[in-house]
Amino acid sequence: MKLQDVDVAVIGAGPAGMAAAIKAREAGAEKVILMERAEELGGLLHQCVHNGFGLLYFNEDLSGPEYGHRFIEKVMDTGVTPLLETMVVRLGQDRQIGAVNTREGFITFRPKSIVLAMGCRERSRGALNIPGTRPAGVLTAGTAQRFVNVEGFVPGKKIVILGSGDIGMIMARRLTLEGAQVEAVVEILPYIGGLIRNEVQCLHDFEIPLFLEHTVTRIHGEQRLEAVTIARVDGQRNPVAGTQRVIACDSLLLSVGLIPENELSLMAGIQLDPVTGGALVDETRQTTVPGVFAGGNVLHVHDLVDNVSWESELAGESAARFAAAGKPEARGEIKVKAGRNIRYVVPQTISGRKDTTLYMRVSEPEETVRIKVGNITTKGMRAVKPSEMLKIELSADKLEKLKEGTQEIIVDCEKRGGK
Amino acid sequence: MAKEKTYICIGCPLGCEVTLTIDKKGGVVGFSGNKCKEGEKYVLEEYTNPVRTLTATVLTEGSSQPLLAVRSNKPILKTKLAQSMAVLAKARAKPPLKMGDIIVPNLLDTGADIVASSDLSS
Repeated sequence: MKLQDVDVAVIGAGPAGMAAAIKAREAGAEKVILMERAEELGGLLHQCVHNGFGLLYFNEDLSGPEYGHRFIEKVMDTGVTPLLETMVVRLGQDRQIGAVNTREGFITFRPKSIVLAMGCRERSRGALNIPGTRPAGVLTAGTAQRFVNVEGFVPGKKIVILGSGDIGMIMARRLTLEGAQVEAVVEILPYIGGLIRNEVQCLHDFEIPLFLEHTVTRIHGEQRLEAVTIARVDGQRNPVAGTQRVIACDSLLLSVGLIPENELSLMAGIQLDPVTGGALVDETRQTTVPGVFAGGNVLHVHDLVDNVSWESELAGESAARFAAAGKPEARGEIKVKAGRNIRYVVPQTISGRKDTTLYMRVSEPEETVRIKVGNITTKGMRAVKPSEMLKIELSADKLEKLKEGTQEIIVDCEKRGGK
Repeated sequence: MAKEKTYICIGCPLGCEVTLTIDKKGGVVGFSGNKCKEGEKYVLEEYTNPVRTLTATVLTEGSSQPLLAVRSNKPILKTKLAQSMAVLAKARAKPPLKMGDIIVPNLLDTGADIVASSDLSS
């Protein structure tokens, strides 16, 4: 294959990369390649055998493999060129890509534009510094998911799960159905980290004990995990003396957050947002390096795949436009800033001239609020939670309210006078 | 004596704790705790007919892939989930299979089939 004349190169063929590549083709890019280090397209969707995918995008309740299947077929139908078992190891500020595979060795080329779609990875025990021994049986929830759903091994019989993220709760249900005993789900915050439907359908349905405001303070066992100590935490999230209890278990699953995988972005000198861990982008999803776009979990961690697909389509479409024009469009320069009880907003800058959807998360759960986007628009919400991403649409005509020379827009989550 | 049952509504991020009051005959006589009508609908459904889509895996025979992801093509009563897993433990998926192919027809007489969630090749 000739790599000299690639229009758009997409890095990563999970849900984000597939959507970006398809859209880039549909938007007129001639040669689109989809680079993936694994041996097949689809990313982690293969191991997410549970349902709940596509409720928004397809208006259907699909399993992960089913959702992936639809995009894989479309990748083929639209004439995207997949480049499998190929790992991108270098990315330059000039869009030079360096990659390795076992067929061609080290390859380099310079596409006209790039979409970053590398997704995210899980925080591990090392990121938490849990004291104790280092036995077998401590693994991330995603690793356990791969063992159970793809490899065919149940990692243990008595399980404790630290963190109440969606993957953790989904694994609590899955392991229970496979005959394991889930002794506890332990969450340091006063509320669950995942979606409410998962708390009800994964924990309550199976009477799995949930310990809020608790954490694991020690890991016990020599060869194999034998028990964990958990303790209640105070308002500063420090363990409270005298509240410890020991839970016998042979496996500890960690579901304690996801980190966008941005090593390549940093190599290319792309500026990252310290809160999201992803690139700073404008509404076209262009990063601070011209011609390099980003979408999906590499940009900010989403809770629904549907939004990953939509956002990455936007990145793919922008990348196709950049490849055709060969020069950058004026970058959006109006800063969108997180105000009261808003943790972050993506995109971080907008031009103020195009229809734009703002994706955001709140810092703390709150009821009866209104999301206020500068003087442009407000949206009332009955309840907001950090685990549920919010979307606010700004149409071009609403954006006309912006005064000439506006440099920043502040997004606030305000209390409403409730009844 | 009226009985009470509580549920958490999953309709929105609010997650209202809704209490259902049930009379001697099992009839619903009241709701409390829900902040909208949707909550009543959800809780009534959970009380009378709580259903879930079952997703799982079955062992394969004659494929390089050890497992095949499967799902029920309709939601089934949640009280039948454990029994259904026992049925799936005995089932085997033999390639070639296409997504949507039936692996276990009419699971436990629920009217739902267990179908392949992806293709399976040898």
